[in-house]
Amino acid sequence: MKRPLRLRLTLRDLAAGSAFGAMAVSGQLPLWALGVFFGALVLALCDVRLVARHARLSASALLIAAVLLGLQLTSGAMNAVVAACSFAGLIAAQRMLSAPDAAAEGQTHLTGLLMVAGGAALSGDMTYAMCLIAFGVLASLSLALGVVEAAVPDGEPVPVRAVMRPLSAGLAFAVAGAMAFFILFPRLNWAMVGPRSAPGLGAVSAAGYSNTVRLGGAGTIKGNPRVVLRATLTPDPDRDALDAYWVGRTYDTFDGMEWTNVVGARQTERQITLRPASDTLLHQRIELLPAYGARTLIALETPSRLGNAMAHTPTGTRSSPVQLQGGGEVRFTVTAPSYTYEAYSLPPDTKAGLAAGLVQAERDQLLAVPEHLDPRVSQLAARVLQGEKEPLAAARKLAAFLQKDYAYTLEQEGTPEDPLSDFLFVHKGGHCEHFATALTLMLRTQGIAARLATGFYGGTRVDGGYLVRAGDAHAWTHVLVPGRGFVTVDATPPSNRTSQGSVLLEKLLAFYEAVEARWRNSVVDYSFRDQFELASALVRPPRRPRGATENETPSRLPPARAWVTAAVVAFGVWRAGRFVSRWTRRAPALEATRFLDRVDALLQRAHVPRFEHESLEDLTTRLAREGHPLALALTPLTRRYLEARFGGRVLREGEAEHLLATLRRALDAEAARRAVKTAGQAGPTARAS
Amino acid sequence: MKAPARPSFKARLRAFFRPPRTLSVTKTGRTYLVVTFGVGLGALNTGNNLLYLLLGLLLSMVVVSGVLSERCLRDLTVRRVGADAAFAREPFAYRWAVSRKAGHGFALTLSEDLSPLTGTGKLGHLPAGKEHIVRADLAAPHRGPVRLSGVRVTTTWPLGLFAKTRVFSLEGTLLVYPRRGYACKEPGPAERGPQGEAGSPRHLDGTGDMAGLRELAVNEDARRIHWLKSAAMGRLLKVEREREERRIWKLALETGLTGDALERRCEEVAAQAHQLLDAGNEVGLQLPERTLRPAAGASQERRILQALAWVGYEDADADSREAA
Repeated sequence: MKRPLRLRLTLRDLAAGSAFGAMAVSGQLPLWALGVFFGALVLALCDVRLVARHARLSASALLIAAVLLGLQLTSGAMNAVVAACSFAGLIAAQRMLSAPDAAAEGQTHLTGLLMVAGGAALSGDMTYAMCLIAFGVLASLSLALGVVEAAVPDGEPVPVRAVMRPLSAGLAFAVAGAMAFFILFPRLNWAMVGPRSAPGLGAVSAAGYSNTVRLGGAGTIKGNPRVVLRATLTPDPDRDALDAYWVGRTYDTFDGMEWTNVVGARQTERQITLRPASDTLLHQRIELLPAYGARTLIALETPSRLGNAMAHTPTGTRSSPVQLQGGGEVRFTVTAPSYTYEAYSLPPDTKAGLAAGLVQAERDQLLAVPEHLDPRVSQLAARVLQGEKEPLAAARKLAAFLQKDYAYTLEQEGTPEDPLSDFLFVHKGGHCEHFATALTLMLRTQGIAARLATGFYGGTRVDGGYLVRAGDAHAWTHVLVPGRGFVTVDATPPSNRTSQGSVLLEKLLAFYEAVEARWRNSVVDYSFRDQFELASALVRPPRRPRGATENETPSRLPPARAWVTAAVVAFGVWRAGRFVSRWTRRAPALEATRFLDRVDALLQRAHVPRFEHESLEDLTTRLAREGHPLALALTPLTRRYLEARFGGRVLREGEAEHLLATLRRALDAEAARRAVKTAGQAGPTARAS
Repeated sequence: MKAPARPSFKARLRAFFRPPRTLSVTKTGRTYLVVTFGVGLGALNTGNNLLYLLLGLLLSMVVVSGVLSERCLRDLTVRRVGADAAFAREPFAYRWAVSRKAGHGFALTLSEDLSPLTGTGKLGHLPAGKEHIVRADLAAPHRGPVRLSGVRVTTTWPLGLFAKTRVFSLEGTLLVYPRRGYACKEPGPAERGPQGEAGSPRHLDGTGDMAGLRELAVNEDARRIHWLKSAAMGRLLKVEREREERRIWKLALETGLTGDALERRCEEVAAQAHQLLDAGNEVGLQLPERTLRPAAGASQERRILQALAWVGYEDADADSREAA
């Protein structure tokens, strides 16, 4: 047995790695499966075939793994797709580490293909496409090298370079063909929904909401650039930086250390109305991504209605009712890695009024302060306010004071016993929770109702929508203004409200998110509607430019893209026509050739003397020159054959038969003449004299 | 008397209706198609666009595979170089010459179409403008003329999913000699040659062709010394001459033999002829319809093998005989 080409094995193993990567990017595979596969991959790339001599042992290990996966599946700890994908990864690992024979080769590629298909069910990330293309390219190269290697005699080198060029061109066409198929193949559904449930590789729930906000923790989340929320707003604000408050929930009770709510869960419905709707509501279509990691619905300040939620679970997408909690929080009742829902908010500077769901217990808590609150807090508030009693003015005054005299910092040393006093009188620095708590408590000490609100601040424009990052997590204060309801006042310095992560990293991630958003819109959510729009866009007249005046009459000519489409279609039709005409044009030539064959057969049967390789036209010319009687029959026949064969004049129906019948008669006459002549020469004739 | 081994009627009918290229699915290809079908069903069933993308890639690979394999088989020229000697039921070296005008050819497998010859020749890479000789170890099931109708060129390039075949129509005849197996019988007494105890006086006179010179050993006949060379070299050199003990045998193939008996006898005669000719004797052959005069050497062995190969196929047309 000849030694397999190392390059081919490397390509095969890398292809399997790419296929596994297509599943691994979903972040749903168990860690041990990732570890086993990548360990096997590294060993295989180092050409260490560990199980080559222990095939039975490794097969037994696989069997045990299958049983364990089955147990996890039946116990509900793992879903079927993840279990199947994990097992495919294990099989691929075992095959990679076994002796590199043809069977192992084929099985590795097959499991690779299954893993790629499994990845499609697990992940909707753009990285899946990269893994898919990498798998296609690497596996094809490996297969092609295998095919050539099998045909190369022992001892001769495999022409790797010669293989690569035509194959690379072929692969480029295959990728283009795959895209064309994807775009053109008619979808049977109007709305196609790809997998959205993947939490992503290495994903950690970043913005995790809980029932409390505890002061004293370090603000590490502010440096996290991961995107937790995508939103499409109607009407579109059309601003690059939205700089808006996205509220999740509010807290009314502070015990000196943490914020809580006095009221628990209440009604569960498909849609929760927090405030009466108006005609000018701001509609938001929001997608909470796996990095969000909580069940609280987020909406722009001030939310009016939330609901129509869909939970994207690993087993599929389903509708999720929502539940109203204390503090105006609305929660999904179904736990899933990601959600989509709709929210309506009041436009900014609208009189919000009190939320309909605000119960008396919550109202009572709006002025509550901790029992052991440091008296200096109240004194400080009174000193800053200097008798200001109007809630909004007082809140703004205090906020301005805090922004001016206190530093924003994410560094926290230990957990102080009284975080608020520590912030206000010791360190004089903290993050948004400290600023918001200080403002809220200081207002309450002065008899002004206020509460703490948490959510996000910001919104980066990407591809027509807005992104919110984990680092945009924020806390601020709601001040109850009589006649207006709760008004947002933020004590945190404006420059520190949004994400505090690396600018470069955020730019890179923004670029990635822009591409990812296009990927989602163009690929994952591609549907029959998109196909229809694509087709109509090719022929639809161009839209009027924004700056154009009403008087300008649009051109009656079709748009340039319609011309281009027509040109492409015409070229395709022309090429197809040429291809077809090659066959149709061959038909008369074949008919003429058949006619010639029949003439040749007749001449041969009649024993017409003919030189070797003498063509019909040469024969006719010779016979005519010799004054042979057959020339009379052959001349029109030959001319007609040449016209039919090379002149494009097809033989009419029955014409060939007519010409052949003439030739046959001429041949019979010639045979009769020769017979008479032979009989005349056969013997001497005696003449009596 | 039978005609040369012609393809069966079924095989000829199949050849008549065969399209210009034939395609068969390999084992890997079957698995690939099943998975593609499954992915297609999954895509239609779930509406998962990523599965549509994967399906598109899988189907595109099938199309690209067809295009690349067609490019591989196009612009190809094949001619037979043939075999030095083909013996029945034992592998013999056979050659084809392959070339192409443009492009590259990969993973080509050559074999004889519609013939009882088994075995294939393989070529990994065929660049343009260069003629390559492809060698194969073929085997023929029986002796006699084998009519060759064409050469099959098959490629599994590029992915090994499908085997595409093109048949080059090339008429020809290969004459398969009887196998030179073990001869059970002795060839019988020689017709003419040294008889009795005494050797031929011709062998003692030193008239055979000179084979070489070597130093005279102890007790060797001094009459064999080459005096001129010995004087030149300064030591006694002995002339070694080829044995002239050439005897003449006339082998015969009995009349009336048919079937296996005829085959066995042909093989036996071929083996006897080979042994005798190898020993430097002259061998002639008496066949039911013709006679070969005794002669020695490799060419005589070839003549005998050819004559034996044609036994039973005498009604083959002249063209076949000429081609063979």
